[in-house]
Amino acid sequence: MDDGVNIAARVGSRKNITLWLGAVLVGVPLLAGLVSFVWTPYALSDMVGGRLETPGWAHWAGTDRLGRDILTQLMVGARVALVVGCGAVAIGAAIGVMCGILAAFATRFADDALAAFFDILIAFPTLLIAMLVVATRQEASLGTAILALGIGLAPIVGRITRILTKQVLGQDYIVAARVCGTSWPAIVLWHIVPNILPFLGVNLALQFGLAVMAEASLSYLGLGAPPPNASWGQMLQEAQGTVYSAPWGAVLPGLALFALVIGVNLLADGLRDRVSSQRGEA
Amino acid sequence: MLGYILRRLVILLLSLFIAAVVLFALLRLLPGDPANALVGVGATPAQIAAAQAQLGSDQPLGAQFLGYLGDLARFDLGQSFVSRAPVIDEITTRLSVTLPLTFAAFGLALVIAVPLGILAAVKARRWYGLALSVVSQIGIAIPVFWLGILLVYEFSLHLRWLPSGGFPLRGYADPARAVQSMILPVITIAIVMSASLMRYVRAATLEVLGSDFLRTARALGESRTHALIRHGLRNGAVTVVSVLGIEISTTFLGAVVVEQVFSLPGMGSMLLLGIQQRDYPNVQGVLIISTLLVLLTGFLADIAQRLLDPRLRQERR
Amino acid sequence: MHFRIDHAQARGRTLLMAMTSVSALTLGAVCAMAQDVDPQAVVNIGSLYEPQNLDNTAGAGQGINEAFNGNVYEGLFVLTDAGDVEPKLVDSYTTSDDGLVYTFTLKDGVTFHSGDPMTAADVKTSIERVTAEGSASSRKSTLDVIDKIEAPDDKTVVITLKTASISLPYNLSYVWIVNDAAEDISASEDGTGPYMLQEWRRGSALAMVPFDAYWGEAPSNGGVMFQYFTDATAQNNALLTGAVDIITSVQTPDALARFADNPDFTISEGASTTKELLAYNDRVAPFDNVEVRAALSKAVDKQKLLRAVWGDYGTLIGSFVPPTDPWFVDLTDVNAYDPDAAKQMLAEAGYPDGFTFTLDTPNYDPHPIVAQFLQNELAKVGVEVKINIITANEWYTKIYKAHDFQATLQEHVNHRDIVFYGNPDFYWGYNNPEVTRLITQSEAAPDTDTQTDMLRDANEMIAQDAASMWLYLYPQIVVSTSNVTGYPLNGLNSQFFAADITKAD
Repeated sequence: MDDGVNIAARVGSRKNITLWLGAVLVGVPLLAGLVSFVWTPYALSDMVGGRLETPGWAHWAGTDRLGRDILTQLMVGARVALVVGCGAVAIGAAIGVMCGILAAFATRFADDALAAFFDILIAFPTLLIAMLVVATRQEASLGTAILALGIGLAPIVGRITRILTKQVLGQDYIVAARVCGTSWPAIVLWHIVPNILPFLGVNLALQFGLAVMAEASLSYLGLGAPPPNASWGQMLQEAQGTVYSAPWGAVLPGLALFALVIGVNLLADGLRDRVSSQRGEA
Repeated sequence: MLGYILRRLVILLLSLFIAAVVLFALLRLLPGDPANALVGVGATPAQIAAAQAQLGSDQPLGAQFLGYLGDLARFDLGQSFVSRAPVIDEITTRLSVTLPLTFAAFGLALVIAVPLGILAAVKARRWYGLALSVVSQIGIAIPVFWLGILLVYEFSLHLRWLPSGGFPLRGYADPARAVQSMILPVITIAIVMSASLMRYVRAATLEVLGSDFLRTARALGESRTHALIRHGLRNGAVTVVSVLGIEISTTFLGAVVVEQVFSLPGMGSMLLLGIQQRDYPNVQGVLIISTLLVLLTGFLADIAQRLLDPRLRQERR
Repeated sequence: MHFRIDHAQARGRTLLMAMTSVSALTLGAVCAMAQDVDPQAVVNIGSLYEPQNLDNTAGAGQGINEAFNGNVYEGLFVLTDAGDVEPKLVDSYTTSDDGLVYTFTLKDGVTFHSGDPMTAADVKTSIERVTAEGSASSRKSTLDVIDKIEAPDDKTVVITLKTASISLPYNLSYVWIVNDAAEDISASEDGTGPYMLQEWRRGSALAMVPFDAYWGEAPSNGGVMFQYFTDATAQNNALLTGAVDIITSVQTPDALARFADNPDFTISEGASTTKELLAYNDRVAPFDNVEVRAALSKAVDKQKLLRAVWGDYGTLIGSFVPPTDPWFVDLTDVNAYDPDAAKQMLAEAGYPDGFTFTLDTPNYDPHPIVAQFLQNELAKVGVEVKINIITANEWYTKIYKAHDFQATLQEHVNHRDIVFYGNPDFYWGYNNPEVTRLITQSEAAPDTDTQTDMLRDANEMIAQDAASMWLYLYPQIVVSTSNVTGYPLNGLNSQFFAADITKAD
């Protein structure tokens, strides 16, 4: 009655709420970002209002120091955040998952070497690599930042994939499958990938959050892509000096960042629980 | 086990070597001769030659690399272009801020995350178990600098309990003020870090709850709590240790941002300033030392994991 | 971190001073507290400008002037906060009739912090430190006129010039007198000032204590500590929580709102000489064309920009000369805001469809926001601005030294620095022979009225030529807790004399 599988299943059903909440929190910025391609309340860099106007009818989210509409910037920022997050995670996962599984299957020597290499790369932390690349490029752009973040994420993904894969490889049924002569691509496809996917998926969601957050931190430190590439981090940086007199300029992009990251995590959690509960019932 | 440690030690040394090579290549790949950065653009050819001789950048790459390795072995990280002070001296001073900051934050995060993570898993059905997961989600998603500003607003500006930033001139010779100025930065990092740790602990505990050996232990008559403590904690620890290496390096990143928010004279602000000023020796020094520390942590984490996880121990013997 | 242009070449003269005390309680408070002044109190000064090292000839940045000028080191002359050049370590001096030979007699009884007496030989080596080949001092070129320095005896220094220069005493106020026995002063000091360096913790703070054997009047406080911040908000927080007593510069009007209407703080506005400008590279097309520069100037609503950056503070001057310079004229009507005329002028100049240029923008406030404003304004007349964010060091090497740029943003802090427009080799490369002649000859002018007339003419000419786009004059604001008084208000040339600051309990 009280065993773990049942708990997981029941938590899973309750977690439908988190799944939906996550979907909403991700859906809103996704929608806003998509809409921003065709329509925004004002043009991105038009100085349409007064200095630091409080939120009101004309400007739902107020204006910044130059009188630009903050809601417009938030919408374009959503687009930037999604592009940064998805781009970096896609690059990171493509490299990381492949290397991680390869390492787990390789000979002991190659495995150790790859594992050590992941560690070394992780020891150059994501943000630092991004900083170096972006800071030393004359023509820094969002593209370089995404590439840098993605490469920075790859060893983290690789390391986790390797550990997860090894754990699965140690299970009895894999040993059995190997004894039965199942080829290793089949093992990867039928046993490894489905087994590591839930945990890895959650992890990739975390990496998405990490990438979006790292881009914001870079911009906050003044090392981001140059204007007018409005990102939430850049809005935060520009609102720093007015955080006490016009808090909405800093609160709103922060809140947007917060909602998106939390949304992605909830979505991943909900999906994982659904997957594991389905498998538990099967 | 001893064999494993020795093997892992060799890997550590090799890693350090590779890291040194990667760094050497990375910094040489940056545009321009560092000698130009030292003397600035309108310099005469004679001045540039003098600067090159001083830096050794007029020698062939191989000789430069050997000299660089020799310097590293003697912990000689060169001289800052900007301050003209030995890099290692400045790093030592700044480590006395960043190391305690990182370790205190990590320790505090563990104290928060482990019990709460287990609780969130065991009581997953109860409202507070769910509430705990929600709280951990919030912690992960909150931007570090935002949290810092919020804490300063409440505890420094409003309640006036703690300083809003800075570090005493005499450092730990002024222990009360040194500790005071560390409290908010430590809490800032710890909150963010404990949130992600808690998730790992919760996930690991949930896995243990559904695992065969716990069922076996219970079938053998152990109480659930007892079984959980005997087997669950150990498995939870494996998870925590396996993410330790990664977490410690993200903590260092958090430290860069937090040092900026709180005006702390640590490694992070040294790196940031070094990048802004193109002070290559300082940037190289910070990267080398921080890489060394992270690799060392990874080494210790791997050994601890080996000690803790029987599955990994059996696998190869 | 901030690299500000702070050369200057002019003779000192009293500046008009404007002091506005915003806090109503200040006057009464000062009287009441004068009794309770604590001569042993340490004054904590918050600053954003940490020196890179302690040697002003080794690229230490403006922070070292703030901390050390007049506090740890002294010159033969001093530029007071009121703008006068007065003798400091010089007892008296004479000038030859042709203005080429200056003979200085040094003050008696001046000793260095190490205990050595100051001699003429120390003065000679100190000046030579600045003019030496390896010196990175930004003042170096202003001393190029020196032909030779002699020290006939311990108390006499004779300087022979190549050409007459009425600005020599002013320029010597930048030269620290350092003990010639001190070898490396990048991490230690040996000066003659009222304070000795106690300790410097990089990235954090720099402490100074009174020098017991000081030749002049002892400081009226028990020492000063400069606390360094990388972020203006953190600096303001430190003042609000009492961690520092004074902050030397306020970066945004929004920060002021936190101190106004609070009797615990005093907000003082001094005479500002800091100008924000867009400097074109006047050597390269299309900025070698006066029509184009004037058109761009007309395309930008500077009043709106000033309001965005400074709210109700700051002023428009229409040129490079602030109201405190004797040759000031209100030139805001020259090339005033008129976007339609701007468009037409661009068309006449051969750019009916506009053009594109790169604006090198220093990475610290307010430049990035100013750049975005300009990008937006100029887009309306068809000119596309590409913003390239650079560091202060890159600005120095790429723009100031190599002149490798199209246009840039910078703040110039000094008074009387119109002379830069008389130097065709200056980074912006403005070259109008008539302006060059006026400015060069004003240096050898027989009296100050003639000098003023000549420089006023030059001022009007550069405005007509739209040599640069002058955006606005910063306000000069110092905020302190109300129990602290006696600090300098104008902060000329980034100096911050600490000896007269008093702090009540």
